[in-house]
Amino acid sequence: MSEPNRRKVLETGWKLGGALLFGAAGYTAYEALSPLSTGAAGGTITIGTPANFASGTSTYFAEGRFYVVNVKDQFFALSQKCPHLGCKVPFCDSSGRFECPCHGSVFDLAGEYIAGPSPRGMDRFFMNVKDGNLVVDTGALVTGPDRGTKTNFTPPTGPGCIGKG
Amino acid sequence: MSDQDVLEPPESVAADERGLFGRLHRSTVWRSMFRHPQQDTPRGRALQGFSNFFLHVYPVKVPRRVLRNRYSWRLGFIAAVLFAILLVTGLYLMFVYTPSVGSAYGDMQRLKTGVGFGQLVRNVHRWSAHLMVLVVFLHMVRVFYAGAYKHPREFNWVLGLWLLLLTLGFSFTGYLLPWDQLAYWAVTVGTNLVQYVPLIGGQVQNLLIGGDQIGQSTLLRFYALHVAVLPSLLVLVLGVHIWRVRKDGFAVRRSHVGAFEEEASARPAAAAAAHAAPESYGGRVRLLGVVDRESVTAEARPVDDTVFTWPHLVVRHVVVALGVLATVLGLGVAFAAPLRGLANPNLTPEPAKAPWYFAGLQELLSRFDPLVAGILIPAGAVLAFIVLPYIDRNPATEARNRKVAITLFSILLAAAVVLTVVGTFFRGPGWKWIPPWDHWYVEL
Repeated sequence: MSEPNRRKVLETGWKLGGALLFGAAGYTAYEALSPLSTGAAGGTITIGTPANFASGTSTYFAEGRFYVVNVKDQFFALSQKCPHLGCKVPFCDSSGRFECPCHGSVFDLAGEYIAGPSPRGMDRFFMNVKDGNLVVDTGALVTGPDRGTKTNFTPPTGPGCIGKG
Repeated sequence: MSDQDVLEPPESVAADERGLFGRLHRSTVWRSMFRHPQQDTPRGRALQGFSNFFLHVYPVKVPRRVLRNRYSWRLGFIAAVLFAILLVTGLYLMFVYTPSVGSAYGDMQRLKTGVGFGQLVRNVHRWSAHLMVLVVFLHMVRVFYAGAYKHPREFNWVLGLWLLLLTLGFSFTGYLLPWDQLAYWAVTVGTNLVQYVPLIGGQVQNLLIGGDQIGQSTLLRFYALHVAVLPSLLVLVLGVHIWRVRKDGFAVRRSHVGAFEEEASARPAAAAAAHAAPESYGGRVRLLGVVDRESVTAEARPVDDTVFTWPHLVVRHVVVALGVLATVLGLGVAFAAPLRGLANPNLTPEPAKAPWYFAGLQELLSRFDPLVAGILIPAGAVLAFIVLPYIDRNPATEARNRKVAITLFSILLAAAVVLTVVGTFFRGPGWKWIPPWDHWYVEL
């Protein structure tokens, strides 16, 4: 190892100083850009007793951006956001399915994948029962079921809204 | 250069010019700003080029072939003119627009009803933005086919690719600002592509849109990117890009062996004939005996095929710039920039299309796995083009000598064009195949 001299020490000092400056600038940029928690999402929402939701229906909750569906008395809170590219997936009353108008992904009543480019079924929020009421936790998102899952398969009840279904 | 060249004696400058302008041009104040007033001599033109900041963007002389429109189709210059138009119109819009979810859409409507020529300025800004994406892309295509990315211009090709990406970034961030349904859903679809990047996708998407869905944070950061970050970066990279072009004299000449000559004097035909002489004479005589005096003279004094940039090239550029301005003004008068209803996160329009330059990507996404179509293919293409000049070591620029490169590029280009046309014109609700003559689902 060669002897340290003034030139080398200064050179290393400049390099370290520069790295520190860039690191600090990068971290500050990251902090400035990181989303602030607004409190809009992540809370729990009480949506009423299970009896409010008839079997085979879907009910939309705008404040939590999710649908509550009753599939043969099994309840799911489905995120409205299409797993494909984030469009809002509307419920089609005639087919009884979720049909995304953006790219044509189709999901059955339980949010399981039927057709289209979506990589999986619709994501779900965690839900439990408290004092007889259904409570949806919008902070706990569960990744949707894989393609091919047919655990709660329901056939279409009629023609699709966007011609697929 | 001697002092005499720099400090032109006043009497030789505009000495014969009469009247008010003559006096103005001879005044001390004028000469302090323009040290070499117009002199219609080769020396005068050269000095003007050297001493004028704006003319100094150009080299003093360029090869004559640069003057032909066919040489470059002026695409790079047209892109720069469009950028200048975008800067000016963008500045106008900044005085009217507030990047707030509550007021952005109202500002767009106010442009139409309450600001004189406001809608026209917005239209021109929008058409110029679309055209800039198209022209920068065509510029890249033309540079590829001309083989102009090869040594010594590899790095300028890379800079050009960055400029294309910055242009796309400009267009995409600007797309959100009107805060209408078109803007909201195009950007929703566009930003959701990022989530397919392995490991860090979700985090990057969060940073980009500032939350879990498009909202005020997204609008503010897209605005900051659009009016501050991207312009600074683009001006910097464009400066280096143009400086390199200028240093290459607007043209680099390739010799037969694949090396380059910095300046573009044509190799005299007579000199080539002299080299070929032994074959011409069947190889039966010595070279010394057949070289005629004319060819030796020609080799010693190569033909100068360069012309002064000012006025020859500059005048052509002014004409092109005026043509571009007339085109975007014409488009702006004829076609209004679209403004749909106020952005509504609860109402997905049918169809929700990405901006046209991403429609090819969206078409690809409807056919392949998102990781492949959304990330691997586009990122792979960009990476391939960045390393292209470093891996393509074939020095030839003529199409007949680079068949593999030309064929591969043409296939890619055709695929990109077909996908973009299909995604833009042939897709309707549910991404179904609906030809434009059945129903027009195109909005720019």
